[in-house]
Amino acid sequence: MFKAIVSASTLRDALDAVSVLVDECKIRLNEDGLAIRAVDPANVGMVDLALDVAAFESYEADGGVIGVNLARLEDIAGMANSGDLVHLELDEETRKLHIRIDGLSYTLALIDPDSIRQEPDIPDLDLPAEIVVEGNQLDRGITAADMVSDHIRLRVDEASETFHIEAEGDTDDVDLEVGREDLIDLQAGPADSLFSLDYLKDMNKAIPGDAEVTVELGEEFPVKLHYEFAEGMGNVTFMLAPRIQSD
Amino acid sequence: MGNADLRALAALSDVAWADIEGSVVAVDAHNWLYRYLTTTVKWTRDEIYTTEGGEEVANLVGVVQGLPKFFEHDLTPVFVFDGGVTELKSAEVAERREKRERAEERLAEARERGDQVEAARLSARTQRLTDVILETTHGLLDLLDVPVIEAPAEGEAQAAHMARVGDVDYAGSEDYDTLLFGAPLTLRQLTSKGAPELMDLDATLDRHDLTLEQLVDVAILCGTDFNSGVSGVGPKTALSAIKEHGDLWAAMEANDWHVENADRIRELFRDPPVTDDYALDLDLNPDLDAARDYVTDEWEVDADEVERGFERIEASVVQTGLDRWT
Repeated sequence: MFKAIVSASTLRDALDAVSVLVDECKIRLNEDGLAIRAVDPANVGMVDLALDVAAFESYEADGGVIGVNLARLEDIAGMANSGDLVHLELDEETRKLHIRIDGLSYTLALIDPDSIRQEPDIPDLDLPAEIVVEGNQLDRGITAADMVSDHIRLRVDEASETFHIEAEGDTDDVDLEVGREDLIDLQAGPADSLFSLDYLKDMNKAIPGDAEVTVELGEEFPVKLHYEFAEGMGNVTFMLAPRIQSD
Repeated sequence: MGNADLRALAALSDVAWADIEGSVVAVDAHNWLYRYLTTTVKWTRDEIYTTEGGEEVANLVGVVQGLPKFFEHDLTPVFVFDGGVTELKSAEVAERREKRERAEERLAEARERGDQVEAARLSARTQRLTDVILETTHGLLDLLDVPVIEAPAEGEAQAAHMARVGDVDYAGSEDYDTLLFGAPLTLRQLTSKGAPELMDLDATLDRHDLTLEQLVDVAILCGTDFNSGVSGVGPKTALSAIKEHGDLWAAMEANDWHVENADRIRELFRDPPVTDDYALDLDLNPDLDAARDYVTDEWEVDADEVERGFERIEASVVQTGLDRWT
């Protein structure tokens, strides 16, 4: 059983965070809210999302799992104005999701959850550095890095207590240095890792500019990017595997 | 040829690095080097890559700056050199110079005979790169353990052949002629920033409902590296003429067009001189110290210009998977 009403903008924010990595996903319809966990086919980028029951206007669920085509669902959600409410109701018999938005009814055929890639195990990471930065700052560094390279280096300088977003291209370099005063918080530690910009750019697209992003970083370790949406009722954690020195 | 003409016909799409990681690319070496020399390297100061003896070795900067792109995306390059002017790596400079002179003589002879096809072929192979550039490029690639293949004639024909028989996954060229030489898949833009462009032969033929032979005929009408084409005929006209009349001869007869040496040019694309006599060792073990010495000591290139590239080759970073941490 699943029946819920949610604002279109909350639904869109949730779907965006997942669709940057995968085309299809399983959605867990838990009693305390929705949960999605997905990893891209190359096993490089992962998303772990929770949307609490409090983020909904109304919510009833009993722990089922559905499989959805994200592009479809995003298209439908895109038909709504941001203030609109989206009504969702699962038809257990036909395995279809009925969606209503201000007079518009849409019946979405669901995908067999067993046919979707298994939900990944969350890596067990104890990362030494934690940087809390505004989404806009991160976006600035990523955009600049993208001008010169396909890779991006995230690093903490422990001595000067600064966070660096760097890129080295064939001929040009970029270095965005963010000091403690421009960070929301910084817990310095040994942290220096290189990542694919393709992935980080996509993840960055889903992160709202005014969000507080918690970046957890280590030396040649995956990075964790955590932020909240839906006024704190939604939580997203992205994990991205690093590029490392080959043997 | 009119690259623009072939571009208009070719099925091209952007491809993500992640999708081609781990593959092997037969790179048209002259084409790649030439692009590197004319774009990236020429922006820096002349003295950086000219030895005291006045030999220009900008190619060494180009190779060191250009190779990291392959390694960082876990692509193995195989450099295919044009034949006819160069001999396998062991040859001495003098010998090479002699061969080059011989090629130039042949070129002059061909021009004298009025053999435009042979003249165009030879001039494409001689003009762009000097002996020293070819010798030092070979020397450096050798130290970096990058496989090198000498084509009997056109490098892109050989690269296309290797892709066709499946010894490599892609041909690599900034031009479009690998399509005519029958390379199933070609990667373009390997010298520029960003993701490469994939040129797909089957998709190209499907799109226009042509055979490869007909595509070659279309190209000959528009003009290729070896002929200038029929005046006023562009890709659209050529395409509809070949589709209407079936092949080059019928199309020329019906429209009263003439292409000098059409049969020979056609043969060059359909059955180019290529070799299967090569061994590919794709397990690369570069000797970076020796390569550094070669570039900075032996050929007097400013160390600052190449250090970054060597560092990137050294780092040759690879993408990990998250499962490594679970």
